[in-house]
Amino acid sequence: MLVLSAAGAVVLLTSALPLARLLTEIPGAGAAALSVLSAFRPWLLLIRSLMLAAAVTACAIAIGVPLGLLIARTDLPGRRALWMVHAFPMFLPPFLLALGWFQLFGREGFLGGEVTARLLFSEVGLVAVLALTFSPVVTSMMALALLGMDASLEEAARVAARPWRVATRILLPAARPALGLAAILVFALSVSELGVPMFLRVDVFPAAVFARLGGIRYAPGEAFALVVPLMPVAIGLLFLERRLVGAGSFAVAGLRGMSRAPIPLGHWHPALAAVSWSIAVAGALPLGALALRGARGRGFGQLPQWIGLAPWTSLGTAVVAATVIVAVGLVLGHGVARRLRGASMLDALAVLAFVTPASVLGVGLIAVWNHPAMGGLYASVAILIVGYIARYAVVGIRAVASVVLQSPVHLEEAAAAAGARFWRRLTRIILPVNLRGVAAGLLLAMVFCLRDFETAVLYYPPGREPLPVRIFTLEANGPPPVVAALALSHVVLTAFVVAGGSLLVLRRRRA
Amino acid sequence: MKRIVLLAALVLLNPACKRTAQEVVVYTSVDQVFSEPIFKEFERKSGITVRAVFDTEETKSTGVLNRLIAESQHPQADVFWANDPVRPFLLVKRSLAQPYLSPSAADIPATFRAADGTWTDFAARARVLLVNKKRVSPAEMPRSIRDLSNPRWKGQTAIANPLFGTTTMHIAALFTMWGEEQARAFLTALRANNARIVSSNGEVKRLVATGETAFGLADTDDGFEAVKEGAPVEVVYPDQEGMGALVMPTSTVLVKGGPHPETGRKLVDYLLTPDVERRMAESAAHMPLRPDVPVPPGLKRVSDIKAMQVDYARVATDMERIEPWLRQWVGL
Repeated sequence: MLVLSAAGAVVLLTSALPLARLLTEIPGAGAAALSVLSAFRPWLLLIRSLMLAAAVTACAIAIGVPLGLLIARTDLPGRRALWMVHAFPMFLPPFLLALGWFQLFGREGFLGGEVTARLLFSEVGLVAVLALTFSPVVTSMMALALLGMDASLEEAARVAARPWRVATRILLPAARPALGLAAILVFALSVSELGVPMFLRVDVFPAAVFARLGGIRYAPGEAFALVVPLMPVAIGLLFLERRLVGAGSFAVAGLRGMSRAPIPLGHWHPALAAVSWSIAVAGALPLGALALRGARGRGFGQLPQWIGLAPWTSLGTAVVAATVIVAVGLVLGHGVARRLRGASMLDALAVLAFVTPASVLGVGLIAVWNHPAMGGLYASVAILIVGYIARYAVVGIRAVASVVLQSPVHLEEAAAAAGARFWRRLTRIILPVNLRGVAAGLLLAMVFCLRDFETAVLYYPPGREPLPVRIFTLEANGPPPVVAALALSHVVLTAFVVAGGSLLVLRRRRA
Repeated sequence: MKRIVLLAALVLLNPACKRTAQEVVVYTSVDQVFSEPIFKEFERKSGITVRAVFDTEETKSTGVLNRLIAESQHPQADVFWANDPVRPFLLVKRSLAQPYLSPSAADIPATFRAADGTWTDFAARARVLLVNKKRVSPAEMPRSIRDLSNPRWKGQTAIANPLFGTTTMHIAALFTMWGEEQARAFLTALRANNARIVSSNGEVKRLVATGETAFGLADTDDGFEAVKEGAPVEVVYPDQEGMGALVMPTSTVLVKGGPHPETGRKLVDYLLTPDVERRMAESAAHMPLRPDVPVPPGLKRVSDIKAMQVDYARVATDMERIEPWLRQWVGL
């Protein structure tokens, strides 16, 4: 109970308190806050944002599910390399990718013209850019879930069934918790995305919120009034996800181990390889455009002058925040998977903090943490860590919940019957049994912290900005080759983290 | 796990993270690419560490200002260096400006200094039309901002979202100059003419430079950068036969209750020196307010152009007043 309370306190202090603090601003805003909610336009924008996010999620699932399956369970040539190339875009703030797409398909872009520019700057362009950016989330979660699956179920099925049937009847249902988590992540990321729609000139709901915080008049009460309609969205997402995951989940981590022969693709080999690689290369094209831009303008040579301490800040804060996120996730994610009511409520709060526009959460964090009683915390890098935990706690909770749901409960029950207390069960059974999934959650949380821009930009400590913030503040009239080179540095930094993390995960797997 | 904690401790406690005894915190909406080298020079000359917060292009002018307002119960900044002369009035109105008459400002024309020292202007920009020379012939070159609503250019012009950045100030200045009715009619005509409302002035520059649009409204430094990058762009100072172009000096404010008032004053003194005006002219195409500061070739002085005669304090009031209407106009 003590452990659960401590984990809950972290979520309450970081995620819930800023939102509760802003709730108190609504009465002060009075009639203005009410008139915001009674106007037609914000609701229209909300519906529009939800529809766009649904379209992005559907496209990301359509791309990610088959790719995840192909990468994890078939003999597709170069599938690990394919995964790496495909996953790269998700390591960058989406706005940078939009910038890369503009350099490709803008009117004067490398491959652009009138028609491509028109398409790019439209709802179609927005959905395409975000779907290609976020589909690696689905692919990776699917692949990780399938790689972690006990081989006995699949091997038994393969004795009697054809590969297609094995995929649809065994593999996909087994990966449903991961798919549910991936879908909720992609939807939440899309619905709260601000930079790309603003750049592509598509009006969305977060822009209406941001206009009240970053615009002419600073009106946090009105902005938070606009968050109220997002609460049913968060609850709806949770309901959907639990229906999707809960009913269909079953233990897939058994004693048989994970190694088995990949499913042969036979004569589908060339066609599937061509399609998979085309998708992966298409997603990475904007990175190529950025690299070309950086190299042509000798941006890389100017990096030492402009990069500052930003990579250190990004890396250090992401490591600490991701560790806390996963520690909290281990306790609460386990609670969610085992249907503890308190854990489920805290999970709902974390989901709400995740779907709340980053600008609102950021202002709430300022209101709570910029206080003389907090000492130097607010003006130090610690505020970045607090902000990352506030926004991405859900990543740890859901990542752990999805792996715990797949693991058998009888070991925990046996330990409890033998008198082991929760802390002992957590450290001796739950953690070791789910270690690979927890490590993957740590990696995922780190990637989210590293690519965060929209939350940190509101309160980053003076002189200690993380790398994405530095890229965007320099993007204002900064030399484009330098901005492109900084963006590439961010990719390299994240690739380094992911490669290190993957090695850790794979080593654990072998062990 | 131990390794992770060790790595994090190393990163967070690396020597570069240590606070120095002498430091100053500055929030600025002046582009980082221009302001950061000036802060570094100040650090070199004074030995005082500058810890800065910058705006992004999308939240230009409003981002750090709103952060100052959000932090007003416990100010974290010592100095605000605004990229336009209107935002300081919003701080003055909220009693967040500490009066300070800097000795460096003695030779800045009196119209650009608050008598009580709450704000002091220097290095200025102007609002200009950026025109793509490949898409617009010399004979058709636009001369007024009213050309943005000319049906001849339907769907071929761009302005930045007026809820953010210097466009806000420009639109507010039009309300001050023209009055409510005319200004609203102009913006309505702009909408009817399918002018693109884009995320920032930088985006306007990008669209014009790449020929995506024929011309657009931005700032002199955007034009200067476009020309420097070799884009086929001509910078047109609008309304030189009429009301004039809007001139926007940058402005310094000492923040009331900031954590380092002494070093804050030193930074303000430094920013207001003729040397910084010269550097801003050379690196960022900002026009010096002092008549004797040299300018690089191609850059005009404030005295070389016809400037819009407008009261910045009134513009600040109008800016807040028109915000609800402007938000509706944008569609947010």
